Amino acid sequence: MNTNQLPSQATIDPVIEAYKAGIDVTLIRENLRRTPEERLLALEQLQSFAQELRRGGREMRNRRR
Amino acid sequence: MNNFALLLNALASSGVSFVIIGGVAATVHGSARLTSDLDIVYERSRENLARVVAALSPLEPYLRGAPAGLPFKFDVETLRRGLNFTLTTIAGPLDLLGELSGVGDYRAVDEVSEDVSLFGSVYRCINLDALIVSKRAAGRTKDFEAVAELEIIRDEARGISEDSES
Repeated sequence: MNTNQLPSQATIDPVIEAYKAGIDVTLIRENLRRTPEERLLALEQLQSFAQELRRGGREMRNRRR
Repeated sequence: MNNFALLLNALASSGVSFVIIGGVAATVHGSARLTSDLDIVYERSRENLARVVAALSPLEPYLRGAPAGLPFKFDVETLRRGLNFTLTTIAGPLDLLGELSGVGDYRAVDEVSEDVSLFGSVYRCINLDALIVSKRAAGRTKDFEAVAELEIIRDEARGISEDSES
């Protein structure tokens, strides 16, 4: 593995540690109980949901005009 | 709308040598983050490029974000002249990468990958440690939260396997 391209870990690490505080570990634990295939199918469902939310949002903004 | 099964099965049924990386690999490892495209690292031999073309042509690949009507021809010559391609297909967005930051080309990525069974086939998926290395190497702000989550997943997975061993 080529590690020569890695940016300074000392710079990145405090930022990553700060992000960890905001991560919902319960969602991760729920996912880890699923099989990899179940995780991908859940992702597709989430994508469909996000797509529907964007569509609804567009419709809402158009009605305001 | 993404159909990961369709994309993956198309690649597998044509015998394409590739490894799943990026957000979908993160999902395979347990990520709860939303990703919208399938990223793969593909092997760059002429034979494999022909297999990529055979696999994806029925899915109508086109350059993502490019204006409609460009004279884009998805063939071996186009793949040979480029390295990374961000595509739309009728099964969803697909990124073809010739190399992965922090890891290397297909051969290097395959060395740090493992088998995963999905939709009735077995695929190569980058392992969690290498995925973290690649996200760190990319050094993009949007990857920092992903790295944070992946490191938590690694800790959680270790905790689960230690619990099951005791």
